[in-house]
Amino acid sequence: MTAPRLLGYGDPAHLAAHQFLVEEAALLDAGDYAGWLGLLCEDIRYLMPVRVTTARGTGFDSLADMAHFDEDMYALRKRVQRLATDHAWAEDPPSRTRHLVTNIRTFSGGPGELRVESALLLFRSRGDTRAADLLSAGRTDLLRETSDGLRLARREITVDESVLRTQNLAVFL
Amino acid sequence: MLDLAAVVSDVRRGMVPAHVYGDPEIFAAERDRLFTRSWVFLAHESEIPDPGDYVVRRVIADSFIVARDESGAVKVMFNMCLHRGMQVCRAEMGNASHFRCPYHAWTYRNDGQLVGLPFHAEAYGGDDGFPRQGQSLLPAPSLGIHNGLIFISLDPDAPPLRDYLGDFAFYLDFYTRQSPSGVELRGPQRWRIKANWKIGAENFAGDSYHTPHTHASVVEIGLFREPKASKRKEGALYVAGPGAGTTYKLPPGGGFADQLRYVGYPDEMIAGMAESWSAGQRALVADSGFMVSAATLFPNLSLVHNWPQIDASGTVVPFISLRQWQPVSERETEVLSWFAVDTAAPEEFKRNSYRAYLMCFGSSGMFEQDDVENWVSITDMATGSMARRLNLNSRMGLTSAGRPIKPTLAGFAGPGVAYQGFGEFNQRHWLCQWSDHIEREPAIPAAADMGGPR
Repeated sequence: MTAPRLLGYGDPAHLAAHQFLVEEAALLDAGDYAGWLGLLCEDIRYLMPVRVTTARGTGFDSLADMAHFDEDMYALRKRVQRLATDHAWAEDPPSRTRHLVTNIRTFSGGPGELRVESALLLFRSRGDTRAADLLSAGRTDLLRETSDGLRLARREITVDESVLRTQNLAVFL
Repeated sequence: MLDLAAVVSDVRRGMVPAHVYGDPEIFAAERDRLFTRSWVFLAHESEIPDPGDYVVRRVIADSFIVARDESGAVKVMFNMCLHRGMQVCRAEMGNASHFRCPYHAWTYRNDGQLVGLPFHAEAYGGDDGFPRQGQSLLPAPSLGIHNGLIFISLDPDAPPLRDYLGDFAFYLDFYTRQSPSGVELRGPQRWRIKANWKIGAENFAGDSYHTPHTHASVVEIGLFREPKASKRKEGALYVAGPGAGTTYKLPPGGGFADQLRYVGYPDEMIAGMAESWSAGQRALVADSGFMVSAATLFPNLSLVHNWPQIDASGTVVPFISLRQWQPVSERETEVLSWFAVDTAAPEEFKRNSYRAYLMCFGSSGMFEQDDVENWVSITDMATGSMARRLNLNSRMGLTSAGRPIKPTLAGFAGPGVAYQGFGEFNQRHWLCQWSDHIEREPAIPAAADMGGPR
């Protein structure tokens, strides 16, 4: 197995990965969660570990056994179904979100796979007068080539706060 | 100046002045009168299993290092250097034999003892200027451990923790002693919500009434086997010692093992519960037919137990969470939410139970999301002047004359007082304890000289 290789920013595979992430962000910001589920592989793992403050040299800065999200397709479908009910107060009225995706780096993966790193700044505004929330995170994705195009097989979200400053994660990153 | 006696008087008759959920003067009273005295949860022993392991936790603004020292004992120390007051440990967890202050390198062993003081002879003239022997980081005034749960009180004269827990210890075992091996905690997830800390504590203590509506969505998507409203309406509420909680009614006719199988526990865990629980605890499940759900131990530790379906084929798996409503201000609370599981549980159960937890509670949990939306909204409303004109009715379950509208539940195997169905008995119990603290004078501790002149 060869080590992952950073692709050039003009590489067609990088451009395809970039387009995938921007289109995905557009679906999330539009609240099209059913459309978003369509971008996920059936065997998706969607993981957002809890970050912790540790001394330099400790060897870890996230918890190995506790996450904010650690989801399979069943759990993600339930979350999306819930948001579509008339009783999901957490997002009704909905937040206004903006998924700002940048610093995208694409690495060659296994056959038919790309590893893509990106930086995400999620702006979330709820109600008319409340201060908005910001969530900053890095993401490492595994994108898989399918007959329908690229699909997300794995996402690990490295959130940049130990204590989240948002009232819940009723939104996806 | 707020008339605290009037507030307490209203609260005691079940009419809660709405501003208590967003009032800086009330918050100051809670800080000075309640959190200076009450036992407060900090951590669980399983979070610091090995010598040198530590976590850093707070009681309002006070930071404490909770460490296991080299002898294996749990030590809780105020995280402030004796010299200039620097935070000695700025990580939130780790393993260390010593804590060295970054400012002037005063160094403390992980049991708090001061062992390093640079230039002791040159700077202080040795022990005459500063007696180094026997100095240690300020210990928590009172420390108590029960089922591995580490509590402190800022009151050196606090009653022993076990005395404080009283009859609530019976219920605590359902969450934290499912086998003789005890429980392990993972996490916590931490996040800050713009809500007053009391709302979550009251909700978990006894608000079975909110479940059918606030959590309608999780029923609609089929996350649970039972229609939620009926499951709740037939459940029992209990008040015991400093705690109170809710239960679900189990299907009729099952014995101890069958009821626990229904909730999703594997037989090897049921054997652990049979061994670990008293006859009364077993009878609550087997004979009374109730299974614990949400609960709050006054003031701000809550517990929850539920059993969703974790896959498309309908596999039911229970989970336990402990959570703390850590006050930040009258308008903000830091939530610390742990996943808890029996240490002796099979690995597959632990994995599945963890997934069940993540779907339901914690920062992303589908129950928690809707709860917090409500609590933030209440807090928003409580901060204005109109909230001072409204006393919220917290008298559910009482007649106008103050008598319960229904008899206590006969045959309930647990200690304390229980009622079946809806009622705000538990929230009033919590609020009365709150009132007991608020009407006392502020605790004004004496300050100790640290190595001062003799």
